[in-house]
Amino acid sequence: MLRYISHSTRTYSRSRPVIALVVIVLLGLLLAACDSSSSQNTQTKQTTSGGNSFPTKAPPLRTPAFGTPGQVAPTVKVLASVDPTLIVQFPLSPASIKSLFPKASALVTVFQNPVANDFDTVTVDVQDMPPNVKFTVFFTELSAKPFGHAEYVGDVITRGDGSGESVFHLITFVAFAADNRNPGTSADQSGNASGIQLEHVGMWFDGLINARQVLHDPTQKGTPFDGGGGLLHAGPQAMTDGQTLPVI
Amino acid sequence: MSFLQPIRRITLGAPLLLVMLLLLTMQVNAASNASIQASIYSNHAVNHVPYNAKVHYVRQMVHDGHLAPTVHVLDSLPPTLILQFPLVPSGIKASFPNAKALVTIVVGSHNDSPSHTVTVDVQNMPPNITFTIFFIELANKPFGNVEYVADLTTRGDGSGESIFQLITTLAFAMDARNPGTSQDNAEGLTSGINLEHMGMWFSSLQDAQKVLNNDSLTGTIFDGGNPPLHAGPQAMTDGQTAPVF
Repeated sequence: MLRYISHSTRTYSRSRPVIALVVIVLLGLLLAACDSSSSQNTQTKQTTSGGNSFPTKAPPLRTPAFGTPGQVAPTVKVLASVDPTLIVQFPLSPASIKSLFPKASALVTVFQNPVANDFDTVTVDVQDMPPNVKFTVFFTELSAKPFGHAEYVGDVITRGDGSGESVFHLITFVAFAADNRNPGTSADQSGNASGIQLEHVGMWFDGLINARQVLHDPTQKGTPFDGGGGLLHAGPQAMTDGQTLPVI
Repeated sequence: MSFLQPIRRITLGAPLLLVMLLLLTMQVNAASNASIQASIYSNHAVNHVPYNAKVHYVRQMVHDGHLAPTVHVLDSLPPTLILQFPLVPSGIKASFPNAKALVTIVVGSHNDSPSHTVTVDVQNMPPNITFTIFFIELANKPFGNVEYVADLTTRGDGSGESIFQLITTLAFAMDARNPGTSQDNAEGLTSGINLEHMGMWFSSLQDAQKVLNNDSLTGTIFDGGNPPLHAGPQAMTDGQTAPVF
């Protein structure tokens, strides 16, 4: 036993310099690691604080021109927005549903980036409309009967509480109808242009049966304001911009 | 003593052997279960692909010639319908014979989808040019009734894409004072004039004259806004007599 202790003591005393060396190397590595992480932190701080490339306040707003003054409906609001965007908003008011849904409202928002623009973005938000009904959305030549030329854009399907929204991506501000065999010209926001300008927005019942049921009027007649099979299977206009001057 | 040694070894080794056998059995069992489960899942997936009646119906239309033979009806899950068809060079054919475009139309549920999604991908087109995209009554001149739907601006390598959302497979033109009717192969008799073809035009006559090295080109109506006839000729067409959507 004594012999074993003395042997291990001897061994320990022989290996002591090696252990000390290992400890020193380890400590050195630890210090180096701490130093490098601290210097990395400093670099990050320099990148973030020294760049001065991030804005510190909101970009300026400006109200862009939209159409010829006096030639745009008074209900159209051109929002002050960041250059180069153009954002206009206007309401739709109840047409055939007015007596039963007098509080029905719709807000149309049209967004355009005129610099890099493949299409415009149209958002239609509705509230207090007949619940669980599908409505079609059309761009039209005229806001009231006989409506003239029309383009079927999309649908809005209301929820149980009469609210709903749809987003469409398509040409809006320069929408026009034309038969290329005889296109004609008409006045646009930008001046004279090819075809018949479509500068109004309206919503229609997509089904005559729905319209008769909702409006409690079995005498309602069909209209062409929906695509697909069945002639005149759509119902009457539900919402209109109600303007003589263009809204888009 | 020497007689008891092997017995002790056996006594110590037996439980170890048993544990190993037990583990081996469990492993084999688990592997076999996993294989059976995978096989069941695989059969389930194969046997329960929902039947898409829309896809079947529209494929039959292509087969019967009611839709153009260039239209692919993809094997999509209900309630979607996905169509793909190419556009080929028309006005740019001589200068850009390899120009091509692929149109993909995604139609969602008939009852719940407020619009359709159209993707137009182009390659090898004139670079850095804006083209307009129209839905049209006829693929070739005189094109008939038209609807301006979007633009597509190519990159420096002649590639580009545009994605837009609007009514597509039910698109039609009409004057509500006298809407008329037309025959839709999928829907039957419909109001208005159906727009069942697609084309791309130079949005600027000047661009077209420059790209095509032809100063005698005349303006067309195929772009919106002032002035009239400031667009160039048709660049790409579906080129079909039967509808493509």
